Amino acid sequence: MTPKAAGSTFSMTSEPEHLVRLRKWLRDELAGHGVPKQEQSNILLAVGELCANSIQHAYEGKGGQPIQVSVRSSADSLVIEVEDFGKPFDAELYESPDLDSLPDSGYGLYLVKNIADSLSIDVARERGTRWTMVKYRQGRGPAAKRAQP
Amino acid sequence: MDIDVTQSSGVAVVAPRGDLDMATVDEVRRTLAGLIDGGQSRVLMDLGGVGYIDSSGMGAMVAAMKQARAAGGDVRLCALQDDVRGIFELTRLARAMSIHPTRQEALASWR
Repeated sequence: MTPKAAGSTFSMTSEPEHLVRLRKWLRDELAGHGVPKQEQSNILLAVGELCANSIQHAYEGKGGQPIQVSVRSSADSLVIEVEDFGKPFDAELYESPDLDSLPDSGYGLYLVKNIADSLSIDVARERGTRWTMVKYRQGRGPAAKRAQP
Repeated sequence: MDIDVTQSSGVAVVAPRGDLDMATVDEVRRTLAGLIDGGQSRVLMDLGGVGYIDSSGMGAMVAAMKQARAAGGDVRLCALQDDVRGIFELTRLARAMSIHPTRQEALASWR
């Protein structure tokens, strides 16, 4: 399938009720970028978790605050950015959950890190956090290239 | 979100329908806590009608399971759609929770 060349952006405010609209938009985008159906669910989850993180932590549950999600792709990868303008994410405070202790929370970023092929965080901005998540197309990532003869 | 609650052989069967995310999780959390606080510590979550669950939904399941186990019961799951099951596997909750293919099999696990 030929992927879409241009990127698109979805804007929402920080009410959790908007997440369902985001998923609908993203599902259509992923299909348009040639992402196979079986890979779409995990990407939907990861992006939803990043937005939930913005709602809960960057904006501390306050509604009406902006969140932007953009998607672009190339022949090799899909790049999704999630951007908020609230309290910046503090990587030093983040602790990976101890799954064996069955925590009631903290699964969100763990899931994102497991789903993304790479995840970077930009907090060197006037306000907020920009998450950039990369998902390689099947057989196109650095590991696949290294494996080629 | 619609949440259907029925009783079957001493087990409260909770069947939500729709997406289980941070917008809807409080309803599920309240329903589960209400049942367990009211003495119904055997709870079966039929997730056949849930096509999407996020980390807040999973957290609600874990919290309810711990509350139910502390009261001598359990929260068990059944009828997970493939995508939902995949997320339980990613977080290793598939090993910690009792998950069954069908409602009948889940109910039979209590007999």
